[in-house]
Amino acid sequence: MKVFQPQKRYRLHPGYIAWILHRVTGVLLGLYLFLHIWVIHYLAQGEQAFNKVMGIVQSPLFLVLEVGLLGTVVYHGINGLRVILVDYGNMAKREIFRKAVYVTFALSAAIIIAGGIPMLMHAFSH
Amino acid sequence: MAEKVTFKVFRFNPEKDKKPYYQDFEVEIRKPGMMVLDGLNQIRWEMDGTLAFRRSCREGVCGSDGLNINGVNMLSCITHISDLKPPIVIQPLPSLPVVKDLVVDLTDFMNKFFLVKPYLITYSPPPDKERLQTPEERKKLDGLYECILCACCSTSCPSYWADPEYLGPSALLNSARFILDSRDEGADERFEIINDRHGVWRCHTILNCIEACPKLLNPTEAIGELKKILIKKKF
Ligand code: SF4
Repeated sequence: MKVFQPQKRYRLHPGYIAWILHRVTGVLLGLYLFLHIWVIHYLAQGEQAFNKVMGIVQSPLFLVLEVGLLGTVVYHGINGLRVILVDYGNMAKREIFRKAVYVTFALSAAIIIAGGIPMLMHAFSH
Repeated sequence: MAEKVTFKVFRFNPEKDKKPYYQDFEVEIRKPGMMVLDGLNQIRWEMDGTLAFRRSCREGVCGSDGLNINGVNMLSCITHISDLKPPIVIQPLPSLPVVKDLVVDLTDFMNKFFLVKPYLITYSPPPDKERLQTPEERKKLDGLYECILCACCSTSCPSYWADPEYLGPSALLNSARFILDSRDEGADERFEIINDRHGVWRCHTILNCIEACPKLLNPTEAIGELKKILIKKKF
């Protein structure tokens, strides 16, 4: 007997989407960590080398990418708190489990917008 | 002319087909409030007698007709056709081997159920009459004992799809049903099984099981309760 991949894939419920985003942001944070360590390691190679690499990561392109970093950190953090409350609080309750996901999305969006606008303004004022 | 609704049904006959395919049927709406199961019966009785699917009580009690309908797991017998967007795509429960058409092999699902010892375990000598329980203690089992083992929750779970060893929401909810029972004395042996990376800790709170359960139970919450007990035991 064989297992078949269904043609119509499983519906993306809010919690399912929240989990997929959590995984994606988790992987991105892991990759960022390597980038971060790679940048920092120039410290050991003297002032000139470090200033040079800092010049690159402070270019407008990287400043725009930094908004992505903000989004990744904020979403992963807030959703992480929700996941903890699903297990150890009461956010798994039928009446609130969906609302909690929407609140996570809304709160993350609000913080990303509030933080992202000044960051973008700074990036483009260069 | 009676109104018709298209059913797009997953077909697979292991004796003839190499690959599964989807077949369209026009189901006639003959009375108000027709369920998806009524449509499937109409197909089998009037259009194609070879269509295989499970059903028994036709009122959401036996748990045999769990199906993936329009991408969500549910019981066909208590799902109104009028609540669904046509064409109605009917597939077997995901991640289980297909026996024929919509009939899946539940061996693995049931084995996992039996692994958590879903029966009363006692070591103390039995009292003269039955083992008593206060109404409050009994109330703790509400939302747990009603499980009909339809497999809708477990087969909706991405962790269950990805990890063939994962006990799944249904087995874990059923372990909670006995662990939280004041009359039961087998919690420790059950914890040995579920306190494992393929047990409660495989639950990533994706919440698909809550969305899927046709009895409106809450496997994620039950797994959370078990995690809480395990954490408390540790400290
Ligand atoms: S918990 Fe609900 S969905 Fe899961 S097997 Fe039991 S009745 Fe079915």
